Amino acid sequence: MNITFESDLNVIKLEDVMVSLHCHHYNCGLVKALEDMEGVNAIEIFIQAATEEFYKNFKNYISNHLEDKPGGEKIEAAADLYRFMGFGRLDLSQLRESGGKAYADSSYYVTGWLAKYGRRKTPVCHLTCGFLSGIMSAIHGKPLGEYSVEEKRCIITGNDMCEFVVSVVT
Amino acid sequence: MSVDSKKVIELASRLPIASNERGIMAAFGVYAAMNYNEFFFKVASRVINAVDLETAQAIEKKLYDAVLECGYHTFHGIRTSMHWREHILPMITSPEDEVYALVAVTNIFGLGFIEVEELIPGKKLVTVVKNAYDPGRYLEEYGIQPRGRCYMFSACTASYMDLVYGPLYPEGMGTFIAVEIACRSKNDQICRFIAELSA
Repeated sequence: MNITFESDLNVIKLEDVMVSLHCHHYNCGLVKALEDMEGVNAIEIFIQAATEEFYKNFKNYISNHLEDKPGGEKIEAAADLYRFMGFGRLDLSQLRESGGKAYADSSYYVTGWLAKYGRRKTPVCHLTCGFLSGIMSAIHGKPLGEYSVEEKRCIITGNDMCEFVVSVVT
Repeated sequence: MSVDSKKVIELASRLPIASNERGIMAAFGVYAAMNYNEFFFKVASRVINAVDLETAQAIEKKLYDAVLECGYHTFHGIRTSMHWREHILPMITSPEDEVYALVAVTNIFGLGFIEVEELIPGKKLVTVVKNAYDPGRYLEEYGIQPRGRCYMFSACTASYMDLVYGPLYPEGMGTFIAVEIACRSKNDQICRFIAELSA
């Protein structure tokens, strides 16, 4: 991954797109604030924003670096991106154009949430759902929102892995 | 003031912040992650625009608090790190120097460039940011805004003062409160933040 830093502007760019670093107090605090909101499905907004950003930026990454590469290489690059950004480690090897399952044996939001709030009874990897939906559309040349993702199992609820089910929206 | 902000930024940008093989970025007692600035803008702006004014202000307060915790704990982790002690602490000869150094070190996280405009020891800190990401995007997407949108820099400004002039860590968070008195999203020339002792 190509990362640059302009010290006189405090601008970091990942593959020419502006990014910033935040700690778990903010990232998990943001999720908690959104989950606590009434009257609007703020987590849906959160997932949709992640879907859009990972779709747009990974599509560009494919176009710049992986255009003629097989799907497996693109999938591997997506997992590398996820790990590079600090979100954890994903096994995407079982994903196909028709969907499938993805697994995480390490999750930023689980680690951060446990550190800040402790255990909880519901999955917490909302960002990963958006990530998977976005990169699947980018990899398979589908429109944004073609894939829905549900986290069926999460480490934070006591499982040994997070499990994400990826389906084509009918 | 004996702190060379450019040198602090140069030294701090060498801090060891990278993901391990499990994709976790642990540094200075916190877990960091990198994300697109546009992602945060989209989440905050869409949520705020989906609710009434009272709810929006409650959300903004929660976002401010989340960043305050982030800044308070992260900057404390940085200022007690071996890297800081070795390279930056020798430049610091007063609490005011520490404020300048903490503001400078913020300029490695990709948020836009923050600077001290005025510091009254123990009482007041004014910071300015010329290139925050969100204000320009608010103007593009939603037009001129009725109030400042840079909750991240507001909370950071309070966190410096909490750490330097508040009760000893971890008791000092919230000693100061910051407000954004000018914001480019309101068509001001610059974003400006004032942290003062909370009532």
